[in-house]
Amino acid sequence: MRSRITNLVVSSVLVLTLGVITAAAFTKTVTIKVDGMKCAKCSGAVTKALKATEGVEDAQVNHEKGEAVIKYDDQKLNEDKLREVINGTGFKAVAEKGQ
Amino acid sequence: MTLPGIVFAALMIIFSPANVLRQDVKAPPQFELKDINGRIVRLSNYRGKVVLINFWATWCPPCRVEMPDLIRLQREHGKEGLQIIGITYPPERKLRVQRFARSLNVNYPIILGTHQLKASFSSEEVLPLTIVIDRDGKVSDIISGILLREEFDEKIKPLLIQKEGEKQNAKSNH
Repeated sequence: MRSRITNLVVSSVLVLTLGVITAAAFTKTVTIKVDGMKCAKCSGAVTKALKATEGVEDAQVNHEKGEAVIKYDDQKLNEDKLREVINGTGFKAVAEKGQ
Repeated sequence: MTLPGIVFAALMIIFSPANVLRQDVKAPPQFELKDINGRIVRLSNYRGKVVLINFWATWCPPCRVEMPDLIRLQREHGKEGLQIIGITYPPERKLRVQRFARSLNVNYPIILGTHQLKASFSSEEVLPLTIVIDRDGKVSDIISGILLREEFDEKIKPLLIQKEGEKQNAKSNH
């Protein structure tokens, strides 16, 4: 009986650990420069659009720095899609060098 | 029932979602202002309609992106009782607003607003900002940022359908 419980606990811990490791492996963070975002009031619209996108786990938009720091699931999204979302709000996601 | 039980039950009733929602639903401030074409716009005149008061500015890129969608919504749902009113957020110049509205063929009234007017509806520091007023003249929602299709379907369409349902009920009763 005792060994059964021990087995169950060990398996549960293993499954949970694997789940956390897998989720972490899929999560990426990217900083995208956003052009023309001078108005503090308007940056909220970018945050909202990003957070409403499936696969985005968190988005912090800073109008003073003119950038968006986005945490996303790279199995569902890529940077190009994130740039599209930003461009869809009327601002311009600045392409990184070489893109 | 024990005293802690009674207190707990009372707290549950006071803070139940239904009560919290009822407290949030409030009457919007009334206004009577001229639009950019000189026509008087009275909020009270739109009682019975679902009104979207959209705060925006020509210098706000997301607001400019949102406007063609609002024009489409007014065109598609106007007959169902949707009425959009655009209110600009300062600084704005009337001529610039008129030119912009003309270039998009805006099909709803546009008013030149003030900081105070926006503050009287909401303290949210976001543009665009849309105040949703139901057919009974109560604020049912405040949507910050660009109005998403899902938000329209979830928060505004039911208010439009409500009236249609009532009409059908009235017909079947006669």
